[in-house]
Amino acid sequence: MSVPLKLIYNEDPTKNIDCEVRKNIVRPIVTYNNISKSYGDLQVLKNIDLEIAPGEKVALIGPSGSGKTTLARLLMTLEEPTSGTIEVEGEMLWHQRVNDKLIKANEKHLHQVRGNIGMVFQHFNLFPHMTILRNVMEAPRNVLGLSKEEAKERAVKMLEQVGLSSKIDAYPAQLSGGQKQRVAIARALVMRPKVMLFDEPTSALDPELVGEVLEVIKAIASEGEMAMLLITHEMDFAKDVADRILFFDQGRIIEQGPPKKIFNNPESERLQTFLSRFNRH
Amino acid sequence: MWNWEYAFKILPEILTALKITVSATFVAFAVALVVGLMLTLARRSNFKPLSLFAGGFVGFVRSTPLLVQLYFIFYVLPEYGLSLTPFVAGVIGLGLHYSTYLAEVYRGGIESIPPGQWEAAKALNFSTLNTWKKIILPQSIPPVIPVMGNYLITMFKETPILSAITLVEIMQTAKMLGSHSFRYLEAFTIVGVLFLVLSYSSSLMVRRLEVRLNLR
Repeated sequence: MSVPLKLIYNEDPTKNIDCEVRKNIVRPIVTYNNISKSYGDLQVLKNIDLEIAPGEKVALIGPSGSGKTTLARLLMTLEEPTSGTIEVEGEMLWHQRVNDKLIKANEKHLHQVRGNIGMVFQHFNLFPHMTILRNVMEAPRNVLGLSKEEAKERAVKMLEQVGLSSKIDAYPAQLSGGQKQRVAIARALVMRPKVMLFDEPTSALDPELVGEVLEVIKAIASEGEMAMLLITHEMDFAKDVADRILFFDQGRIIEQGPPKKIFNNPESERLQTFLSRFNRH
Repeated sequence: MWNWEYAFKILPEILTALKITVSATFVAFAVALVVGLMLTLARRSNFKPLSLFAGGFVGFVRSTPLLVQLYFIFYVLPEYGLSLTPFVAGVIGLGLHYSTYLAEVYRGGIESIPPGQWEAAKALNFSTLNTWKKIILPQSIPPVIPVMGNYLITMFKETPILSAITLVEIMQTAKMLGSHSFRYLEAFTIVGVLFLVLSYSSSLMVRRLEVRLNLR
């Protein structure tokens, strides 16, 4: 199916410059400094260093349980890192500086920095008691403080962009999985985040519904100055959309580079094994 | 034996007292709904003293008899300068007692909300207050409304205990009518039938509500 898309984001002037060059001229929008995360004895992230440039599309691939999702959840403040720091636009996320000492951030600080980040979940997590329109306009209204009319206008426009303007009065339970995920994308986009996290956005979908969601994400990616962190098992999609691919395994970034290099000339043995498993399918 | 003439003579007086019983039930239920929600939220608070206090309060109230609590509120508090009318003391006592049970009902509703709802609320940067108001409570309360309705009926049947603190509700009225005329049969039978009719019809309504909510 084709989805009519015309996104609000302006064309990024640095878009055509090679991503390695861009990193040097632009301050990263997200920086992970030596991040580790453990659950008890299980260490799921091991000393991760990562910078994401504004507008950069980064795809995270790797086996299940390799720590990809945790990396995104730390940035969304759904989980707290065990050690290390994360910066968003040069501002500490989980910490704040008081009298030259780094202390744990309070909710007010988290609230302020979190506003730059949006997330799309594997299981959509739409609000089942609200119509589609209210799902999308509730946060602009209550979090950004827009008037009811403004919030509604923005939400309707967003729903048009994901091709669901005919469903605004429906409830989530009345939609297909693909439609639900497109609503979830609109709900996150309407907040105009600078970084969008997609946590396996098509893994919970029936195979025939995957395409419509990927198409929407591709269209968003091709538009904007918004950075994206895409966790996915759809290798063709990652190849198409991403400026850079990170291969995760056992809590570490094993290999990274532009899609061409990662898919055509994988260096590490683990990446080669991982990719060969995919090619067989 | 049963005297119809006498029964019809005392009926108006009993029905007037029924108004007191019904209004005491609803006011006490409102107290229980509000305090119950506050107890649930307090117990979930990150502020330790508050959650400990709420937990202690629930434990204390549930482990002591309602009658003792009512006597305490009505007969002991005046010694410390807080005199309450039987009605006010009664609805506070009954309301606080049942608030500890309704707190449990709220808790069940809240805990049935999938973690994804909390996460989505956080990802959209909702404040704590708005997360509760817009996302969590609107989803946790409707499924537990039937259970709340059953507590309303239980509280209704519990109101005769308020006669112990001199509230002239339906039971007290029947007792007084009996001791005036030495005829107890008619008065108590009427009271019993009124309770039966009101409780049973309410429970039917609760059941219908439950079916409606399940269909949604």
